[in-house]
Amino acid sequence: MYRSKILAGLLALGTAVAAVGCGGEPEGSPGTIKVGLLASLSGTYQAIGTDMRDGFQLYLRTHGGKLGGHPIELVVADEGDGPPTAVPAATKLVKQDRVSVVTGIVGGGSAAAVYPVLTEAKVPFIGANARPVFKDVSRVWHTSYLSQETGASVAQYVRDHVEGSVYAIGPDYQGGHDQLKGFTEAFTKAGGTLANADGKTRFTPFPTTTNFTPYFAQIKASGAKAVYTFYAGTAAIDFVKQYSQSEIKDLPLYAAGFLTEGGVLNAQGDSARGIFSVLNYSPDLDNAENRSFVAAWKENHDGPPTTYAMASYDAAAVLDKAIGAAGDNPTPESINRAIGQLGQIDSPRGAWQFSKTTHSPVQKWYLRQVRQDGRALSNMVVTDLATVGK
Amino acid sequence: MDRVDPYLIPALDGVAYGLLLFVVASGLVLSFGVAGILNLAHGTLYAIGAYVAATLSDGSWLALLLALAAGVGAATAGGAALSGMLAAVPRGDHLTQALLTFGVALAGGSLLVMAFGAENLPVRVPATVDRPVDLAGHAYAGYRLVFIVVAAALALALHAVVNRTRAGMLVRAAVDDPDMVACLGVSPARVRLGVLAASGALAGTAGVLGAPIIGPGPSTAATVLLLSLVVVVLGGLGSVGGTLLAALAVGEIQTLGVALAPTAAPFLLFAAMAAVLAARSHGLIRRWSPA
Repeated sequence: MYRSKILAGLLALGTAVAAVGCGGEPEGSPGTIKVGLLASLSGTYQAIGTDMRDGFQLYLRTHGGKLGGHPIELVVADEGDGPPTAVPAATKLVKQDRVSVVTGIVGGGSAAAVYPVLTEAKVPFIGANARPVFKDVSRVWHTSYLSQETGASVAQYVRDHVEGSVYAIGPDYQGGHDQLKGFTEAFTKAGGTLANADGKTRFTPFPTTTNFTPYFAQIKASGAKAVYTFYAGTAAIDFVKQYSQSEIKDLPLYAAGFLTEGGVLNAQGDSARGIFSVLNYSPDLDNAENRSFVAAWKENHDGPPTTYAMASYDAAAVLDKAIGAAGDNPTPESINRAIGQLGQIDSPRGAWQFSKTTHSPVQKWYLRQVRQDGRALSNMVVTDLATVGK
Repeated sequence: MDRVDPYLIPALDGVAYGLLLFVVASGLVLSFGVAGILNLAHGTLYAIGAYVAATLSDGSWLALLLALAAGVGAATAGGAALSGMLAAVPRGDHLTQALLTFGVALAGGSLLVMAFGAENLPVRVPATVDRPVDLAGHAYAGYRLVFIVVAAALALALHAVVNRTRAGMLVRAAVDDPDMVACLGVSPARVRLGVLAASGALAGTAGVLGAPIIGPGPSTAATVLLLSLVVVVLGGLGSVGGTLLAALAVGEIQTLGVALAPTAAPFLLFAAMAAVLAARSHGLIRRWSPA
């Protein structure tokens, strides 16, 4: 813990120096706009945070460093493991760097803690990942999803394709509760039966659970015909590797896409083969935006882009349109107003638009399966699922 | 039978987990019990072994043997280096020892993250055992079955060394009365070096062989250290048997215990530890008085 904080501090120092170093954009007309990107560049969520930073920078790189015709000065700050690092970093972005808009933020806890800082300064926030509950979303926008939508979008498919009951299991924290609730509510509403004793989702202690064997024994004893789960990061690696050699290895495994997304899939290797997962993106989606996005991404990265990189890329796309529509001299206020009037946004995930009420995407979800793609394993689209969002 | 059936695999897995903890914790018991050194960098030595395994493993037995040689070598060297650093610290000054070894653990952890990245690394086990094995109608990971056999053999060997050899006699004597051992002409510095190197070798062995069970990552060292400290507290410092019993108990609590009482899973381990401490403040078995 201390170690990761020290590392986070060093990295924050590094990025701060880097930010100062590249601050020499020429001033002129149209004026330079400062954008603050806050993401975990150290700690548990480093992989996700780095993807988000790279996704945003990729959009800038492929669009001549400009959004809406204005040169952009991107100030990157480290969110670390949560509020203790995220809040000071956000405060610096707003007070010292005086950015016009903030994007990024990996963790729900960070987003909730940073929210008052941004609201006070009236800086709009284009979140690209976790979306906690906000009282007022007038200056908050998300290019990602609401936690409950993931499971809700696949419930009907699971109901139609599994003959029997389904066991629901996930990590015991707010994000896990929301993810699993989204599935179980929609699934039982569609007439499905949970195999869990007393019909309640099994929540495993987080992050202390590293051995899932005891839970697998319970799932076997429950007589379930399939499993639905949500895990991310290290827990996802443990869960998948142990599942593939467990008593329930032959039960179909359905999951929120994060179970097999990005770096964890490499670590899981062959044990992830065949897993079904639901997500708002897959690198093999067949549309023009995605083809150029994937090609540009692969110039600098070994693996395919993740949904995290895509959502952050889209945050840049949103700003591109909004800044262009915010007049000659865009202010935080006029940019925020312009975002509210955007129509469809063309994206690697397919076109989507902001919901008027939740300010998060109304978008299509996809069922994917881990299959061989050339030399590597990849999440390949099996079918389109529901369009979710209201 | 039907009521027992769902718990067979968790119980077996508890043995695998427990034996892994035994191999790590016995190193900690050795350094604390014999040399009086509270080594908080012990988990880091495990992590070194695990990272070596992740780097060298390619699904063949040869790679596993290579990893074992390299990992044990590196961890042994790490233990010996710790012994050198601790030379100036007087025996029994546990606060200084703890601070020094904790500092080494922090620095070592950061170096490992710098060298191997902040992600948990995958470890490939030999292809011939990388599949589920059928056990009385249940499937169980083949590698873990092999691990149980190897770790049980290690436990037997350790027991034999401590009880049947001259080195083991010295170890037992040093636990009982270090001053008398020094009077007999055995240099305490050499005992410390030997014990910390052996303790490092045990951590390295556990790290390489246990990497598929508790894999290398930024939190590995802390996890392993915490669990081994629990084992040491439960098992006491006196005997191989006490450590083994405690390690198996911790293993079963984390597998069978979770299967039997899943709602209590978050605090089962520490509740059990508190209960044992309340009933027996010297651990499950007490044969020799701790140093």
